[in-house]
Amino acid sequence: MQHMAQLSPGREQSQGAAVEVRGLGHIYAGRDGAVPALADIDLTVPAGRFVVIVGPSGCGKTSLLMMLAGLRTQTSGTILVDGRPIATPDPSRVGVVFQEASLYPWLTAVENVEFPLVLKNAPRDERRARAEAMLNLVGLSGFGGRYPHELSGGMKQRVSIARGLVQDPPVLLMDEPFAALDEQTRMTMGHELLRIWSQTSKTVVFITHSLTEAVYLADEVIVMSARPGRILDRVPIDLPRPRTYQMMATDVFGALRERVWHQIRDVP
Amino acid sequence: MTRPSPRTVRRLIGLGLLVLWEAVPRFGLLPELFVPPLTKTLAVLWLDRSIYGAALLVTLYEVAVAMLIACGVGILTGAIVGGVATMRNLMLPVFSSLYAVPIVILYPIFTAWFGIGSESKIAFAGVYGFFPVMLSTAAGIRTIDEQYLLAARSMGATLPQMIARVIIPASIPTVLAGLRLGGALTIIGVVVSEMLTSASGIGYLVTMNRTILDSPRVFAAIIVVLALSVVFDIIVRAVERRTLVWQTAGRRTASPEAAAPARLATV
Repeated sequence: MQHMAQLSPGREQSQGAAVEVRGLGHIYAGRDGAVPALADIDLTVPAGRFVVIVGPSGCGKTSLLMMLAGLRTQTSGTILVDGRPIATPDPSRVGVVFQEASLYPWLTAVENVEFPLVLKNAPRDERRARAEAMLNLVGLSGFGGRYPHELSGGMKQRVSIARGLVQDPPVLLMDEPFAALDEQTRMTMGHELLRIWSQTSKTVVFITHSLTEAVYLADEVIVMSARPGRILDRVPIDLPRPRTYQMMATDVFGALRERVWHQIRDVP
Repeated sequence: MTRPSPRTVRRLIGLGLLVLWEAVPRFGLLPELFVPPLTKTLAVLWLDRSIYGAALLVTLYEVAVAMLIACGVGILTGAIVGGVATMRNLMLPVFSSLYAVPIVILYPIFTAWFGIGSESKIAFAGVYGFFPVMLSTAAGIRTIDEQYLLAARSMGATLPQMIARVIIPASIPTVLAGLRLGGALTIIGVVVSEMLTSASGIGYLVTMNRTILDSPRVFAAIIVVLALSVVFDIIVRAVERRTLVWQTAGRRTASPEAAAPARLATV
Protein backbone atom coordinates (compact mmCIF):
# COMPACT_ATOMS: atom_id res chain seq x y z
CA MET A 1 0.00 0.00 0.00
CA GLN A 2 2.99 2.29 -0.03
CA HIS A 3 1.95 3.72 -3.38
CA MET A 4 -1.31 4.95 -1.88
CA ALA A 5 0.38 6.60 1.04
CA GLN A 6 2.60 8.31 -1.46
CA LEU A 7 -0.33 9.73 -3.40
CA SER A 8 -2.26 11.09 -0.48
CA PRO A 9 -0.31 11.51 2.73
CA GLY A 10 -3.49 12.01 4.73
CA ARG A 11 -4.75 8.55 4.05
CA GLU A 12 -2.41 6.65 6.35
CA GLN A 13 -3.82 8.47 9.36
CA SER A 14 -7.35 7.22 8.74
CA GLN A 15 -7.38 3.95 10.57
CA GLY A 16 -9.84 1.12 10.66
CA ALA A 17 -12.53 0.25 8.19
CA ALA A 18 -14.57 2.83 6.37
CA VAL A 19 -17.12 0.16 5.49
CA GLU A 20 -17.69 -2.95 7.57
CA VAL A 21 -20.26 -5.55 6.53
CA ARG A 22 -20.89 -8.58 8.74
CA GLY A 23 -23.07 -11.60 7.95
CA LEU A 24 -25.27 -9.62 5.61
CA GLY A 25 -28.24 -11.38 4.09
CA HIS A 26 -31.20 -10.10 2.17
CA ILE A 27 -34.45 -11.75 1.17
CA TYR A 28 -37.11 -9.98 -0.80
CA ALA A 29 -40.70 -10.93 -1.50
CA GLY A 30 -40.94 -12.04 -5.11
CA ARG A 31 -43.90 -13.31 -7.11
CA ASP A 32 -43.27 -16.93 -6.07
CA GLY A 33 -42.50 -16.23 -2.43
CA ALA A 34 -39.31 -15.19 -0.71
CA VAL A 35 -36.27 -14.77 -2.96
CA PRO A 36 -32.83 -14.77 -1.35
CA ALA A 37 -30.88 -11.92 -2.96
CA LEU A 38 -27.75 -11.75 -0.83
CA ALA A 39 -26.22 -14.29 1.54
CA ASP A 40 -23.30 -14.34 3.96
CA ILE A 41 -21.70 -11.14 2.79
CA ASP A 42 -18.65 -10.18 4.84
CA LEU A 43 -16.77 -7.20 3.55
CA THR A 44 -14.23 -4.89 5.09
CA VAL A 45 -13.13 -1.85 3.16
CA PRO A 46 -10.22 -0.03 4.82
CA ALA A 47 -10.35 3.75 4.69
CA GLY A 48 -9.01 5.21 1.48
CA ARG A 49 -9.36 2.00 -0.53
CA PHE A 50 -10.78 1.67 -3.99
CA VAL A 51 -12.90 -1.47 -4.10
CA VAL A 52 -14.71 -2.62 -7.22
CA ILE A 53 -17.55 -5.13 -7.12
CA VAL A 54 -18.25 -7.24 -10.20
CA GLY A 55 -20.71 -10.05 -10.77
CA PRO A 56 -23.39 -11.31 -13.11
CA SER A 57 -26.60 -9.35 -13.57
CA GLY A 58 -29.00 -9.87 -10.72
CA CYS A 59 -26.29 -10.89 -8.24
CA GLY A 60 -27.50 -8.25 -5.83
CA LYS A 61 -24.55 -5.90 -6.14
CA THR A 62 -26.81 -2.90 -6.60
CA SER A 63 -28.89 -4.06 -3.61
CA LEU A 64 -25.70 -4.22 -1.57
CA LEU A 65 -24.77 -0.71 -2.63
CA MET A 66 -28.25 0.59 -1.78
CA MET A 67 -27.86 -0.89 1.72
CA LEU A 68 -24.44 0.72 2.14
CA ALA A 69 -26.12 4.02 1.20
CA GLY A 70 -28.93 3.51 3.72
CA LEU A 71 -31.46 3.44 0.89
CA ARG A 72 -32.59 -0.12 1.56
CA THR A 73 -32.73 -2.19 4.74
CA GLN A 74 -31.10 -5.61 4.86
CA THR A 75 -32.92 -8.66 6.22
CA SER A 76 -30.04 -9.73 8.44
CA GLY A 77 -26.49 -8.81 9.36
CA THR A 78 -24.86 -5.51 10.18
CA ILE A 79 -23.40 -2.66 8.18
CA LEU A 80 -21.10 -0.08 9.70
CA VAL A 81 -20.08 2.97 7.72
CA ASP A 82 -17.45 5.13 9.30
CA GLY A 83 -17.93 3.07 12.46
CA ARG A 84 -21.68 3.56 12.81
CA PRO A 85 -24.76 1.76 11.44
CA ILE A 86 -26.42 3.45 8.50
CA ALA A 87 -30.19 3.07 8.79
CA THR A 88 -31.13 6.09 6.67
CA PRO A 89 -29.21 7.96 3.96
CA ASP A 90 -26.52 10.23 5.38
CA PRO A 91 -24.82 12.31 2.68
CA SER A 92 -22.21 13.55 5.14
CA ARG A 93 -20.95 9.96 5.48
CA VAL A 94 -21.83 8.45 2.11
CA GLY A 95 -22.03 10.11 -1.30
CA VAL A 96 -23.78 8.16 -4.06
CA VAL A 97 -23.20 8.43 -7.81
CA PHE A 98 -25.83 6.72 -9.94
CA GLN A 99 -25.62 5.29 -13.42
CA GLU A 100 -27.16 8.19 -15.33
CA ALA A 101 -29.95 10.73 -15.52
CA SER A 102 -30.05 11.40 -11.81
CA LEU A 103 -29.14 15.06 -12.28
CA TYR A 104 -32.16 17.35 -12.09
CA PRO A 105 -32.75 18.83 -15.55
CA TRP A 106 -34.38 21.98 -14.13
CA LEU A 107 -31.23 22.89 -12.18
CA THR A 108 -27.93 24.11 -13.60
CA ALA A 109 -24.76 22.11 -13.00
CA VAL A 110 -23.75 24.18 -10.00
CA GLU A 111 -27.29 24.06 -8.57
CA ASN A 112 -27.27 20.29 -8.93
CA VAL A 113 -23.95 20.05 -7.10
CA GLU A 114 -25.13 22.25 -4.23
CA PHE A 115 -28.48 20.43 -3.95
CA PRO A 116 -27.45 18.36 -0.86
CA LEU A 117 -26.33 21.59 0.84
CA VAL A 118 -29.63 23.29 -0.04
CA LEU A 119 -31.42 20.42 1.69
CA LYS A 120 -29.37 21.20 4.79
CA ASN A 121 -30.20 24.93 4.51
CA ALA A 122 -26.56 25.91 4.19
CA PRO A 123 -25.99 29.65 3.58
CA ARG A 124 -26.11 30.53 -0.10
CA ASP A 125 -22.59 31.93 -0.45
CA GLU A 126 -21.04 29.05 1.40
CA ARG A 127 -22.79 26.35 -0.60
CA ARG A 128 -22.16 28.12 -3.91
CA ALA A 129 -18.44 28.39 -3.13
CA ARG A 130 -18.31 24.73 -2.11
CA ALA A 131 -20.15 23.63 -5.27
CA GLU A 132 -17.83 25.71 -7.48
CA ALA A 133 -14.83 24.12 -5.76
CA MET A 134 -16.23 20.66 -6.46
CA LEU A 135 -16.87 21.51 -10.12
CA ASN A 136 -13.31 22.70 -10.28
CA LEU A 137 -12.11 19.41 -8.79
CA VAL A 138 -13.92 17.36 -11.44
CA GLY A 139 -12.56 19.59 -14.25
CA LEU A 140 -15.75 21.52 -14.99
CA SER A 141 -14.94 25.01 -13.79
CA GLY A 142 -16.78 27.47 -16.01
CA PHE A 143 -19.58 25.02 -16.78
CA GLY A 144 -21.60 25.68 -13.63
CA GLY A 145 -24.27 27.70 -15.44
CA ARG A 146 -25.05 24.97 -17.94
CA TYR A 147 -28.17 22.85 -17.71
CA PRO A 148 -27.68 19.05 -17.84
CA HIS A 149 -29.01 18.80 -21.41
CA GLU A 150 -26.27 21.19 -22.46
CA LEU A 151 -23.59 18.80 -21.16
CA SER A 152 -22.16 15.64 -22.72
CA GLY A 153 -22.60 12.27 -21.02
CA GLY A 154 -19.14 12.36 -19.47
CA MET A 155 -19.62 15.89 -18.21
CA LYS A 156 -22.93 14.92 -16.60
CA GLN A 157 -21.20 12.14 -14.70
CA ARG A 158 -18.53 14.59 -13.58
CA VAL A 159 -21.31 16.75 -12.17
CA SER A 160 -22.76 13.67 -10.44
CA ILE A 161 -19.38 12.93 -8.87
CA ALA A 162 -19.08 16.56 -7.74
CA ARG A 163 -22.54 16.30 -6.18
CA GLY A 164 -21.59 13.07 -4.40
CA LEU A 165 -18.48 14.71 -2.96
CA VAL A 166 -19.96 18.09 -2.03
CA GLN A 167 -20.51 17.23 1.63
CA ASP A 168 -17.03 15.71 1.85
CA PRO A 169 -18.21 12.22 2.89
CA PRO A 170 -15.47 9.69 3.69
CA VAL A 171 -17.18 7.10 1.47
CA LEU A 172 -18.22 7.38 -2.17
CA LEU A 173 -20.52 4.71 -3.63
CA MET A 174 -20.74 4.42 -7.39
CA ASP A 175 -23.33 2.28 -9.17
CA GLU A 176 -22.08 1.66 -12.71
CA PRO A 177 -21.46 5.37 -13.13
CA PHE A 178 -19.89 5.10 -16.59
CA ALA A 179 -22.04 2.31 -18.03
CA ALA A 180 -23.94 4.62 -20.37
CA LEU A 181 -20.81 6.25 -21.78
CA ASP A 182 -18.97 5.31 -24.94
CA GLU A 183 -15.69 3.41 -24.61
CA GLN A 184 -13.35 6.38 -25.05
CA THR A 185 -15.23 8.64 -22.64
CA ARG A 186 -15.42 5.75 -20.22
CA MET A 187 -11.64 5.31 -20.21
CA THR A 188 -11.09 9.01 -19.73
CA MET A 189 -13.62 9.14 -16.91
CA GLY A 190 -12.01 6.16 -15.16
CA HIS A 191 -8.67 7.94 -15.31
CA GLU A 192 -10.29 11.15 -14.08
CA LEU A 193 -11.94 9.32 -11.22
CA LEU A 194 -8.56 7.98 -10.09
CA ARG A 195 -7.14 11.51 -10.17
CA ILE A 196 -10.06 12.83 -8.08
CA TRP A 197 -9.75 9.88 -5.72
CA SER A 198 -6.05 10.46 -5.20
CA GLN A 199 -6.70 14.14 -4.48
CA THR A 200 -9.51 13.53 -1.99
CA SER A 201 -8.47 10.29 -0.20
CA LYS A 202 -12.00 8.89 -0.26
CA THR A 203 -13.01 5.30 0.21
CA VAL A 204 -14.68 4.20 -3.01
CA VAL A 205 -17.00 1.25 -3.57
CA PHE A 206 -17.58 0.97 -7.30
CA ILE A 207 -19.86 -1.37 -9.21
CA THR A 208 -19.22 -2.22 -12.85
CA HIS A 209 -19.80 -4.81 -15.53
CA SER A 210 -16.52 -4.03 -17.25
CA LEU A 211 -13.68 -6.25 -16.08
CA THR A 212 -11.06 -4.00 -17.69
CA GLU A 213 -12.47 -1.04 -15.83
CA ALA A 214 -12.55 -3.08 -12.60
CA VAL A 215 -8.88 -4.10 -12.80
CA TYR A 216 -7.77 -0.67 -13.98
CA LEU A 217 -9.42 1.20 -11.10
CA ALA A 218 -9.32 -1.14 -8.12
CA ASP A 219 -7.10 -1.87 -5.17
CA GLU A 220 -9.26 -4.94 -4.78
CA VAL A 221 -11.89 -6.56 -6.98
CA ILE A 222 -14.75 -8.36 -5.22
CA VAL A 223 -16.34 -11.05 -7.38
CA MET A 224 -19.93 -11.95 -6.58
CA SER A 225 -21.98 -14.99 -7.58
CA ALA A 226 -25.45 -15.12 -9.07
CA ARG A 227 -28.53 -15.13 -6.85
CA PRO A 228 -28.26 -15.39 -3.97
CA GLY A 229 -25.27 -13.08 -4.21
CA ARG A 230 -22.24 -14.30 -2.30
CA ILE A 231 -18.65 -13.18 -2.41
CA LEU A 232 -16.77 -15.71 -4.56
CA ASP A 233 -13.34 -14.14 -4.62
CA ARG A 234 -11.36 -11.11 -3.55
CA VAL A 235 -8.69 -10.27 -6.07
CA PRO A 236 -6.04 -7.86 -4.85
CA ILE A 237 -4.80 -5.66 -7.69
CA ASP A 238 -1.14 -4.96 -7.07
CA LEU A 239 -0.54 -2.79 -10.09
CA PRO A 240 1.39 0.34 -9.14
CA ARG A 241 -0.27 3.73 -8.95
CA PRO A 242 -0.78 6.05 -10.65
CA ARG A 243 -2.29 3.67 -13.15
CA THR A 244 -1.62 4.25 -16.83
CA TYR A 245 -3.36 3.08 -19.98
CA GLN A 246 -0.18 1.22 -20.95
CA MET A 247 -0.69 -1.14 -18.00
CA MET A 248 -3.70 -2.64 -19.73
CA ALA A 249 -1.39 -4.23 -22.28
CA THR A 250 0.80 -5.93 -19.66
CA ASP A 251 0.70 -9.63 -18.77
CA VAL A 252 0.00 -8.88 -15.13
CA PHE A 253 -3.09 -6.89 -16.08
CA GLY A 254 -4.24 -9.65 -18.43
CA ALA A 255 -3.72 -12.32 -15.76
CA LEU A 256 -5.72 -10.38 -13.20
CA ARG A 257 -8.50 -9.77 -15.67
CA GLU A 258 -8.45 -13.47 -16.57
CA ARG A 259 -8.71 -14.49 -12.91
CA VAL A 260 -11.81 -12.30 -12.44
CA TRP A 261 -13.35 -13.45 -15.71
CA HIS A 262 -12.78 -17.07 -14.76
CA GLN A 263 -14.86 -16.67 -11.59
CA ILE A 264 -17.74 -14.97 -13.34
CA ARG A 265 -17.77 -17.32 -16.29
CA ASP A 266 -18.12 -20.35 -14.02
CA VAL A 267 -21.26 -18.93 -12.52
CA PRO A 268 -24.21 -20.92 -13.85
CA MET B 1 -34.96 33.32 -55.24
CA THR B 2 -35.10 32.03 -51.68
CA ARG B 3 -38.01 30.20 -50.13
CA PRO B 4 -40.12 32.34 -47.79
CA SER B 5 -39.96 31.24 -44.13
CA PRO B 6 -42.91 29.24 -42.74
CA ARG B 7 -43.64 32.24 -40.55
CA THR B 8 -44.04 34.51 -43.58
CA VAL B 9 -46.22 31.93 -45.31
CA ARG B 10 -48.43 31.62 -42.22
CA ARG B 11 -48.87 35.37 -42.09
CA LEU B 12 -49.67 35.54 -45.80
CA ILE B 13 -52.31 32.84 -45.41
CA GLY B 14 -53.85 34.73 -42.49
CA LEU B 15 -53.86 37.95 -44.48
CA GLY B 16 -55.35 36.13 -47.48
CA LEU B 17 -58.21 34.80 -45.33
CA LEU B 18 -58.96 38.32 -44.05
CA VAL B 19 -59.00 39.65 -47.62
CA LEU B 20 -61.31 36.79 -48.64
CA TRP B 21 -63.58 37.57 -45.68
CA GLU B 22 -63.90 41.11 -47.01
CA ALA B 23 -64.04 40.31 -50.73
CA VAL B 24 -66.34 37.28 -50.91
CA PRO B 25 -69.47 39.00 -49.51
CA ARG B 26 -68.59 42.32 -51.20
CA PHE B 27 -68.62 40.69 -54.63
CA GLY B 28 -71.83 38.85 -53.78
CA LEU B 29 -70.23 35.37 -53.85
CA LEU B 30 -71.90 34.66 -50.50
CA PRO B 31 -74.95 36.47 -49.07
CA GLU B 32 -74.09 38.94 -46.31
CA LEU B 33 -76.43 37.02 -44.01
CA PHE B 34 -74.00 34.09 -44.13
CA VAL B 35 -70.77 36.08 -44.00
CA PRO B 36 -70.86 39.82 -43.48
CA PRO B 37 -67.75 41.66 -44.76
CA LEU B 38 -64.91 42.09 -42.29
CA THR B 39 -65.11 45.91 -42.27
CA LYS B 40 -68.83 45.85 -41.58
CA THR B 41 -68.29 43.45 -38.69
CA LEU B 42 -65.53 45.62 -37.23
CA ALA B 43 -67.72 48.69 -37.68
CA VAL B 44 -70.60 47.30 -35.59
CA LEU B 45 -68.08 46.04 -33.05
CA TRP B 46 -66.81 49.63 -32.68
CA LEU B 47 -70.31 51.06 -32.72
CA ASP B 48 -71.53 48.72 -29.96
CA ARG B 49 -68.25 48.76 -28.07
CA SER B 50 -69.94 49.53 -24.74
CA ILE B 51 -72.29 46.53 -25.13
CA TYR B 52 -69.46 44.22 -26.17
CA GLY B 53 -67.21 45.62 -23.46
CA ALA B 54 -69.80 44.97 -20.76
CA ALA B 55 -70.45 41.47 -22.10
CA LEU B 56 -66.71 40.76 -22.24
CA LEU B 57 -66.32 41.80 -18.60
CA VAL B 58 -69.01 39.33 -17.57
CA THR B 59 -67.40 36.57 -19.61
CA LEU B 60 -63.93 37.39 -18.30
CA TYR B 61 -65.17 37.31 -14.72
CA GLU B 62 -66.77 33.90 -15.26
CA VAL B 63 -63.69 32.56 -17.05
CA ALA B 64 -61.36 33.81 -14.31
CA VAL B 65 -63.32 32.26 -11.45
CA ALA B 66 -63.92 29.03 -13.37
CA MET B 67 -60.20 28.76 -14.21
CA LEU B 68 -59.26 29.28 -10.58
CA ILE B 69 -61.60 26.48 -9.59
CA ALA B 70 -60.57 24.16 -12.43
CA CYS B 71 -56.84 24.69 -11.86
CA GLY B 72 -56.92 24.75 -8.06
CA VAL B 73 -59.15 21.73 -7.57
CA GLY B 74 -57.64 20.01 -10.61
CA ILE B 75 -54.05 20.29 -9.40
CA LEU B 76 -54.98 19.30 -5.85
CA THR B 77 -57.03 16.26 -6.90
CA GLY B 78 -54.46 15.34 -9.54
CA ALA B 79 -51.66 15.46 -6.98
CA ILE B 80 -53.58 13.19 -4.61
CA VAL B 81 -54.68 10.78 -7.33
CA GLY B 82 -51.21 10.72 -8.91
CA GLY B 83 -49.26 10.55 -5.69
CA VAL B 84 -51.21 8.04 -3.60
CA ALA B 85 -51.43 4.54 -5.09
CA THR B 86 -54.74 3.58 -3.46
CA MET B 87 -56.43 6.78 -4.64
CA ARG B 88 -54.98 6.22 -8.09
CA ASN B 89 -56.37 2.70 -8.42
CA LEU B 90 -59.69 3.81 -7.01
CA MET B 91 -60.28 7.07 -8.82
CA LEU B 92 -58.19 7.32 -11.98
CA PRO B 93 -60.35 4.89 -14.06
CA VAL B 94 -63.48 6.77 -12.93
CA PHE B 95 -62.07 10.17 -13.84
CA SER B 96 -60.69 8.90 -17.15
CA SER B 97 -64.11 7.58 -18.19
CA LEU B 98 -65.88 10.71 -16.97
CA TYR B 99 -63.56 12.75 -19.20
CA ALA B 100 -65.08 11.04 -22.23
CA VAL B 101 -68.64 12.00 -21.23
CA PRO B 102 -69.96 15.11 -23.03
CA ILE B 103 -70.38 17.14 -19.87
CA VAL B 104 -72.47 19.71 -21.69
CA ILE B 105 -75.52 17.44 -21.19
CA LEU B 106 -75.23 18.28 -17.49
CA TYR B 107 -75.61 22.00 -18.13
CA PRO B 108 -79.42 22.06 -17.84
CA ILE B 109 -79.02 20.52 -14.38
CA PHE B 110 -76.49 23.21 -13.48
CA THR B 111 -78.97 25.95 -14.44
CA ALA B 112 -81.59 24.25 -12.30
CA TRP B 113 -79.20 24.24 -9.36
CA PHE B 114 -77.46 27.59 -9.80
CA GLY B 115 -79.90 29.67 -11.87
CA ILE B 116 -79.16 31.32 -15.22
CA GLY B 117 -76.68 33.85 -13.83
CA SER B 118 -72.88 33.64 -13.70
CA GLU B 119 -72.88 30.89 -11.05
CA SER B 120 -74.10 28.17 -13.39
CA LYS B 121 -71.53 29.17 -16.05
CA ILE B 122 -68.72 29.15 -13.51
CA ALA B 123 -69.78 25.78 -12.15
CA PHE B 124 -70.12 24.24 -15.59
CA ALA B 125 -66.91 25.66 -17.06
CA GLY B 126 -65.07 24.80 -13.85
CA VAL B 127 -66.07 21.14 -14.15
CA TYR B 128 -65.29 21.22 -17.88
CA GLY B 129 -61.77 22.55 -17.38
CA PHE B 130 -61.11 20.44 -14.27
CA PHE B 131 -60.60 17.11 -16.04
CA PRO B 132 -57.56 17.83 -18.24
CA VAL B 133 -55.86 19.69 -15.38
CA MET B 134 -56.48 16.87 -12.96
CA LEU B 135 -55.55 14.08 -15.36
CA SER B 136 -52.32 15.71 -16.54
CA THR B 137 -51.29 16.58 -12.99
CA ALA B 138 -51.83 12.96 -11.99
CA ALA B 139 -49.86 11.81 -15.05
CA GLY B 140 -47.10 14.33 -14.38
CA ILE B 141 -46.60 13.09 -10.83
CA ARG B 142 -46.98 9.43 -11.70
CA THR B 143 -44.37 9.53 -14.46
CA ILE B 144 -41.59 11.22 -12.46
CA ASP B 145 -38.32 9.37 -13.00
CA GLU B 146 -37.75 7.06 -10.00
CA GLN B 147 -34.07 7.91 -10.24
CA TYR B 148 -34.81 11.53 -9.27
CA LEU B 149 -36.51 10.39 -6.07
CA LEU B 150 -33.81 7.83 -5.27
CA ALA B 151 -31.09 10.44 -5.74
CA ALA B 152 -32.98 12.88 -3.50
CA ARG B 153 -33.29 10.24 -0.79
CA SER B 154 -29.58 9.45 -1.04
CA MET B 155 -28.89 13.13 -0.44
CA GLY B 156 -31.01 13.04 2.71
CA ALA B 157 -34.16 14.79 1.48
CA THR B 158 -37.17 14.73 3.80
CA LEU B 159 -40.66 14.17 2.36
CA PRO B 160 -41.57 17.90 2.30
CA GLN B 161 -38.22 18.67 0.64
CA MET B 162 -38.85 15.88 -1.85
CA ILE B 163 -42.22 17.37 -2.75
CA ALA B 164 -41.03 20.98 -2.96
CA ARG B 165 -37.68 20.43 -4.65
CA VAL B 166 -38.17 17.34 -6.81
CA ILE B 167 -41.78 16.30 -7.35
CA ILE B 168 -43.17 19.78 -8.07
CA PRO B 169 -40.43 20.98 -10.44
CA ALA B 170 -40.35 17.60 -12.18
CA SER B 171 -44.09 17.63 -12.86
CA ILE B 172 -44.36 21.29 -13.92
CA PRO B 173 -44.09 20.65 -17.71
CA THR B 174 -46.96 18.14 -17.72
CA VAL B 175 -49.06 20.23 -15.35
CA LEU B 176 -48.58 23.32 -17.54
CA ALA B 177 -49.73 21.38 -20.60
CA GLY B 178 -52.85 20.42 -18.64
CA LEU B 179 -53.43 24.01 -17.53
CA ARG B 180 -53.23 25.14 -21.12
CA LEU B 181 -55.82 22.61 -22.24
CA GLY B 182 -57.97 23.09 -19.14
CA GLY B 183 -57.88 26.87 -19.54
CA ALA B 184 -58.97 26.64 -23.16
CA LEU B 185 -61.80 24.28 -22.20
CA THR B 186 -62.86 26.70 -19.46
CA ILE B 187 -63.25 29.47 -22.04
CA ILE B 188 -65.23 27.12 -24.27
CA GLY B 189 -67.37 26.06 -21.30
CA VAL B 190 -68.23 29.63 -20.37
CA VAL B 191 -69.06 30.72 -23.92
CA VAL B 192 -71.10 27.59 -24.69
CA SER B 193 -73.11 27.87 -21.48
CA GLU B 194 -73.73 31.56 -22.17
CA MET B 195 -75.00 30.60 -25.60
CA LEU B 196 -77.36 27.98 -24.18
CA THR B 197 -79.11 29.74 -21.30
CA SER B 198 -78.12 33.20 -20.25
CA ALA B 199 -78.86 36.92 -20.13
CA SER B 200 -75.35 38.31 -20.41
CA GLY B 201 -71.84 37.62 -21.70
CA ILE B 202 -70.32 37.26 -25.15
CA GLY B 203 -71.99 33.89 -25.77
CA TYR B 204 -75.35 35.48 -25.04
CA LEU B 205 -74.65 38.20 -27.67
CA VAL B 206 -73.96 35.47 -30.25
CA THR B 207 -77.24 33.69 -29.59
CA MET B 208 -79.31 36.83 -29.21
CA ASN B 209 -78.09 38.41 -32.45
CA ARG B 210 -78.40 35.14 -34.32
CA THR B 211 -82.09 34.89 -33.45
CA ILE B 212 -82.69 38.35 -34.94
CA LEU B 213 -80.51 37.47 -37.98
CA ASP B 214 -78.03 40.28 -37.28
CA SER B 215 -74.98 38.56 -38.79
CA PRO B 216 -72.42 41.36 -38.36
CA ARG B 217 -73.10 41.43 -34.61
CA VAL B 218 -72.82 37.62 -34.39
CA PHE B 219 -69.47 37.78 -36.15
CA ALA B 220 -68.37 40.68 -33.99
CA ALA B 221 -68.99 38.52 -30.91
CA ILE B 222 -67.08 35.66 -32.54
CA ILE B 223 -64.12 37.99 -33.09
CA VAL B 224 -64.15 38.90 -29.40
CA VAL B 225 -64.14 35.21 -28.37
CA LEU B 226 -61.32 34.50 -30.83
CA ALA B 227 -59.31 37.37 -29.41
CA LEU B 228 -59.94 36.09 -25.88
CA SER B 229 -58.63 32.60 -26.74
CA VAL B 230 -55.60 33.96 -28.58
CA VAL B 231 -54.66 36.26 -25.69
CA PHE B 232 -55.03 33.36 -23.26
CA ASP B 233 -52.75 31.22 -25.41
CA ILE B 234 -50.14 33.98 -25.63
CA ILE B 235 -50.14 34.35 -21.84
CA VAL B 236 -49.78 30.60 -21.27
CA ARG B 237 -46.93 30.37 -23.77
CA ALA B 238 -45.14 33.23 -22.06
CA VAL B 239 -45.53 31.49 -18.70
CA GLU B 240 -44.23 28.25 -20.20
CA ARG B 241 -41.21 29.99 -21.68
CA ARG B 242 -40.36 31.57 -18.37
CA THR B 243 -40.83 28.45 -16.24
CA LEU B 244 -39.34 25.91 -18.61
CA VAL B 245 -36.22 27.90 -19.44
CA TRP B 246 -34.15 24.81 -18.58
CA GLN B 247 -35.68 22.86 -21.44
CA THR B 248 -34.75 25.37 -24.08
CA ALA B 249 -31.86 27.31 -22.60
CA GLY B 250 -29.16 25.37 -24.43
CA ARG B 251 -30.55 25.64 -27.94
CA ARG B 252 -28.85 28.96 -28.45
CA THR B 253 -25.36 27.80 -27.39
CA ALA B 254 -23.07 25.51 -29.32
CA SER B 255 -23.34 21.76 -28.75
CA PRO B 256 -21.77 20.58 -25.47
CA GLU B 257 -19.46 18.18 -27.32
CA ALA B 258 -17.86 21.14 -29.01
CA ALA B 259 -16.73 22.48 -25.65
CA ALA B 260 -15.94 19.14 -24.02
CA PRO B 261 -12.67 18.11 -25.71
CA ALA B 262 -10.92 21.26 -24.56
CA ARG B 263 -11.74 20.29 -20.99
CA LEU B 264 -10.97 16.62 -21.35
CA ALA B 265 -7.61 17.48 -22.87
CA THR B 266 -6.54 18.99 -19.55
CA VAL B 267 -6.77 15.55 -17.91
